[in-house]
Amino acid sequence: MLQSFRHSMTWVHTWFGLALGFVLMVCFFFGSLSVYDREIDRWAIPASRFEPQPMPSFDRMLEPAFRRIQLTKEAREEAQTRNEEPLPDTLPLHEWGAYTTHRDPVLSMWSGFELTRPKDPDNDHVYGVMTLDPRTGQELSEDKLKIGSQFFYPMHYELHIHWLGLGYWIVGLAALIMLVALVSGVVMHRKVFREFFTFRPKKQTQRSALDLHNLTGVVALPFHFMFALSGLIVFAGIYFPVGETMMKPLAKAHQKLEASRTGLPEEAAGIPAPLASVDAMVAEAQRRWAARGMAGEVGFLGIHHVGDANATVSVYRAGTDRVTLTGEGIHFKGPTGEVIREDDPKTAAAGINDFVTGLHLQHFRHWLLRVLYFVGGISGCVCIATGFIFFVGKRKRQHAATGSQGARIVDALAVTTVTGMLIATATMLVGNRLLPEDLPLRGVWEERIFWSAWGLAMAHAFWRTAAVAQARIAPAWREQCWAVAGLAGLAAVLNWVTTGDHLFKTIADGYWPVAGVDLVLLASAALAIVAARKLRLREQAGAPAAKEDAPAPLETAHA
Amino acid sequence: MPDALLLAAALLCGIAGMGWLALAMDVHWRQLRSGTPARKIIVTLRVLGSTALAASLALCLTVDHVSMASLVWVMTLAASALIIAFTLSTRPVWLAPLLVWLPART
Repeated sequence: MLQSFRHSMTWVHTWFGLALGFVLMVCFFFGSLSVYDREIDRWAIPASRFEPQPMPSFDRMLEPAFRRIQLTKEAREEAQTRNEEPLPDTLPLHEWGAYTTHRDPVLSMWSGFELTRPKDPDNDHVYGVMTLDPRTGQELSEDKLKIGSQFFYPMHYELHIHWLGLGYWIVGLAALIMLVALVSGVVMHRKVFREFFTFRPKKQTQRSALDLHNLTGVVALPFHFMFALSGLIVFAGIYFPVGETMMKPLAKAHQKLEASRTGLPEEAAGIPAPLASVDAMVAEAQRRWAARGMAGEVGFLGIHHVGDANATVSVYRAGTDRVTLTGEGIHFKGPTGEVIREDDPKTAAAGINDFVTGLHLQHFRHWLLRVLYFVGGISGCVCIATGFIFFVGKRKRQHAATGSQGARIVDALAVTTVTGMLIATATMLVGNRLLPEDLPLRGVWEERIFWSAWGLAMAHAFWRTAAVAQARIAPAWREQCWAVAGLAGLAAVLNWVTTGDHLFKTIADGYWPVAGVDLVLLASAALAIVAARKLRLREQAGAPAAKEDAPAPLETAHA
Repeated sequence: MPDALLLAAALLCGIAGMGWLALAMDVHWRQLRSGTPARKIIVTLRVLGSTALAASLALCLTVDHVSMASLVWVMTLAASALIIAFTLSTRPVWLAPLLVWLPART
């Protein structure tokens, strides 16, 4: 135990914050981008730049499209490893799903197939996917990566580390540390209210970095706390998987009981039967929602036991009018179209869980709240980044005197996760606009560009932070700011050159998904230029001073 | 577009409210006026600030369901506080309209 409670909290805040801060930076930044994942998708896939569409007719458009969904070669090979015998060319159908939101022009569809002789009876499905243009019924190539919803969004909760699901666990630990850092930060911060509005940019770097750290941490504290906590709750089933592990027999029994209680059959009957008109079922569901006074667009359509006498059709509402994750599902008998049941009202515990989850996943329609979430997320990034800067600034003179490389390494990692991450993101968008449109595995190449750019940025960060070991400001920050400015500006220009959708056009047309991404790119470029110029001034001011000044301990209250 | 206007008003109330609360503090008061504010002025500023924040909540509630409105409000407060902090650090004089009712001492 250190001298006092406050000292202990300072120690925890400093070292745990540092260790997991690099991960938190990734979570907060890509989480912020995920607020606009669908809009980034539009930017990245010009063929999908049109207005959001409602769920199209199942009978006329979706059913034929579902029947065209095939397994990819990779999915088939993976499924083969889970099957006792060679898989036949056509696998038996199990389920279909179609999902859209009020921000999606294109429809996500998937078709689930059954393995013929699964090794593990609980793991006996394999899925094929399709992205449909609901205006024409034509599919879009799956080679085109939805950069927002398929790359940035998963990045913020699993870091694209799939091995053993390790990514989820690292992010979960980081979220836990975020909560710890918030509490310990409030304890060690003596002037929460007195310095509530304080930011002194003209003071020394140390002072202004700490001001900004406190400011962005404190004013958005409810946001940071709720998002770290709700992020943990969203994946509670992964972090605390009682249902699949210690209580498996109980979970199985519960599943059976639910099936008999709700009348939604768990297993297929094995008797083929055609499907009645799903459009009529959707109309009935919408009539029932309207009777309850609820917004009635369909968000999710699911069909279980396709082609079987036990087929069920579940229609869920797009919950655009509530924070809570809601669907008010209505379930129909597939072959007859009669209603089996409506979802029960939520229990208190389930209601709280859905509210907290919905608060994080934001399926609601609210442009202002979305902007504010983005601001909250970016303020989290600023909070973490200034934490790194303060950590390095506090130690670099002492480390320079003793020849330690600690401050330099932390600074290099900070450059990598702050400006380096921006470079990787902007480079990916540049790559997205420059790669040939019909390149096979285009999305894979975009991901490679992202990781390579980040790798290069990291190498540059380690090379150009040598100055920190002499207690000066690393030129890496300024140089990477210029790179961010160039790349972000280039991405916006390339969008114009390759698609013709320049800002005057997109703003005049009111097509905000693309206009918004371009505007944020240009604003980032402008901000990066300002930062680079200020850094130049500070470097010049700091260079001679570092030789003359005696090491001045700053803010000893903060480690 | 009345919803957009009401939300804009909610944000403006949030900014004004945070502004008054900030100006009730000596250090920020001195960015606009000299000396320290009288006790009575401090109380007035705090009441004004709290009222504006409450008005912001009321405006949020007229637009959305209570669960959504409370989230919008909490986030509006955070954004307003950031805006006030950055205004105070770069262009404090922009907050002068918040004290326009209070004649400057000569």
